[in-house]
Amino acid sequence: MQFARPLSELIAQLERLPGIGPKSAQRLAFHVLRMPVDDVRRLAESLTRARESLRLCSTCQNVSEGETCEVCSDPRRDDSVICVVSEPRDIAAMERIHEYKGRYHVLHGLLSPMDGIGPEHLKVRELLERLRNDVAEVIVATNPTVEGDTTALYLARLIKPLGVKVTRLAHGMPVGGELDYADTATLLSALEYRREL
Amino acid sequence: MMSRDLSEEEGVGKVPLLFLSRLSLTDFRIYDQLELEPSPGLNLVAGPNAQGKTSLIEALALVSTGRLLRGSKDVQAIRHGCETASVEGILGQSLTRLTVELRRGTRKRALLNGMGLPRPSDLLGRLPSVSFSATDLEIVSGEPQDRRQFLDWEIAQLSPAYLRHLTVYKRALEQRNALLRQAQDTPVSASVFEPWESQLSDHGGALRETRTAWIDELSRDAAEAHARLGGGEELCLQYDIRDEGDVRSSRAIDIQRGSTSVGPHRDDLVIRVAGQEARYFASQGQQRTAVIALKLAVLAAAERHFKQSPVLLLDDVFSDLDRSRRSQLMELTLGRGGQVFLTCTEADQVGFELIESSTIFQVESGRVSRR
Ligand SMILES: Nc1ncnc2c1ncn2[C@@H]1O[C@H](COP(=O)(O)OP(=O)(O)OP(=O)(O)O)[C@@H](O)[C@H]1O
Ligand SMILES: [Mg+2]
Ligand SMILES: [Zn+2]
Repeated sequence: MQFARPLSELIAQLERLPGIGPKSAQRLAFHVLRMPVDDVRRLAESLTRARESLRLCSTCQNVSEGETCEVCSDPRRDDSVICVVSEPRDIAAMERIHEYKGRYHVLHGLLSPMDGIGPEHLKVRELLERLRNDVAEVIVATNPTVEGDTTALYLARLIKPLGVKVTRLAHGMPVGGELDYADTATLLSALEYRREL
Repeated sequence: MMSRDLSEEEGVGKVPLLFLSRLSLTDFRIYDQLELEPSPGLNLVAGPNAQGKTSLIEALALVSTGRLLRGSKDVQAIRHGCETASVEGILGQSLTRLTVELRRGTRKRALLNGMGLPRPSDLLGRLPSVSFSATDLEIVSGEPQDRRQFLDWEIAQLSPAYLRHLTVYKRALEQRNALLRQAQDTPVSASVFEPWESQLSDHGGALRETRTAWIDELSRDAAEAHARLGGGEELCLQYDIRDEGDVRSSRAIDIQRGSTSVGPHRDDLVIRVAGQEARYFASQGQQRTAVIALKLAVLAAAERHFKQSPVLLLDDVFSDLDRSRRSQLMELTLGRGGQVFLTCTEADQVGFELIESSTIFQVESGRVSRR
């Protein structure tokens, strides 16, 4: 079945988004057709505004409204510790706990030769630049996947010779999780990173 | 309840005996619906060819290990014309419910008491089992890869840590191979190779160490079982490390071939019968005897490990075996207590005394009746 041109164009555009297949694209497109025109305009505007006004913070590479992001421009934060994460959303997670007072650095991905991603595709050079200033510790907070672990190893080998301490976030049991239902990988890693009481 | 008494004699009576008290299948292979209440002892599954005996053994293997029998793909086990299949088992005593769901187009899912587990392999260790089916003959007759799969599957049942090493190793291997192929076109610096290679050598080292120790443990039991089954012929197992070299030092060669040439993914388990490599020289009957001896040794190792008898799944174990090997086999497997599922075309193949003490299920085109 053939749709009117603007509609099939909209569907094609939506389909290009990650996680949206042909069926969802159609469903979204028809939903847009039923929306009040004002709402559609607002949606289109916020898409454009987000894309145009947001950029990467020149220091930590997090998504930011200005040249430097909120965390980087906060003078009360500790310059001597940098927490390295793979995605901007990981910063939001860390910030929710209100415990970490240091700085961040976003890699924008993990090493994965299978996906053609090498160090030159990540914000590694930018991280090394920052280590010229007085940084005492780098906390690598990448996910405990094979790629996350290997990226951490790669960074450790790069950074340690510079005399900077490199630590890795421990991964273990979810608090309140039941031992019986935990996956064995999680249990094993919880055991590996156990600490003395 | 002969099994209970036996385990008490052995001093392991405190541990509750593990067995499957109920099995339900939905659209699994030839079965549309099946409810079965097996006995904690010997269960004979009898019926003519192509009626659903192997399918039943396969369902049992699936709830126990999260995997089908060697050589089967998940999607093949979904009944023709159906979208999903499910197998559910309930453990005796604890009433723990183990479920595996197969669905076309997605990965299978395992559940524990109705709650999804992160991975199907997280079922392992809840209902330990040792299975033998016709495709297991490949362990002797097949390629090194078939024997590595034997080692990996059986050890993974006993050791989640081994499974973890294996998963990381395989993934890091794929990644390094991708990097090698990339390096054929554009130079890749050593510092980019190194973290992957360090993963390979750490986890690969752990794999080799565990495999070697496990084969050592298996050797004696396997030789003993084989001597009894095979009229005194000697069975000898040896872990064969193809290349002791470090993965880093083969980088240049590996870039040329576009794949990693050293590591446990190239090793083999050499099986010799009466001094000859069984892969090339053993007869049908000798192959079967060797595989059964291996599986019996696995059973003994699992028994020591879990301090109780795993469920034994024996599919079509008698064919190719002469009368004396058959009766030796019955003694070796049934003397030990624990739950057993055994398929045969006619129930009287197992011998008169055993029929008396067993529960017989007659299988006929996807229907099972208790006799
Ligand atoms: N996914 C499926 N859907 C429907 N039928 C299937 C499926 N997979 C296998 N079958 C059929 O189930 C039947 C029973 O197979 P099974 O291997 O369980 O028989 P069996 O009783 O072990 O026979 P044998 O004595 O020859 O070993 C076969 O005819 C097979 O074609
Ligand atoms: Mg069969
Ligand atoms: Zn910033």
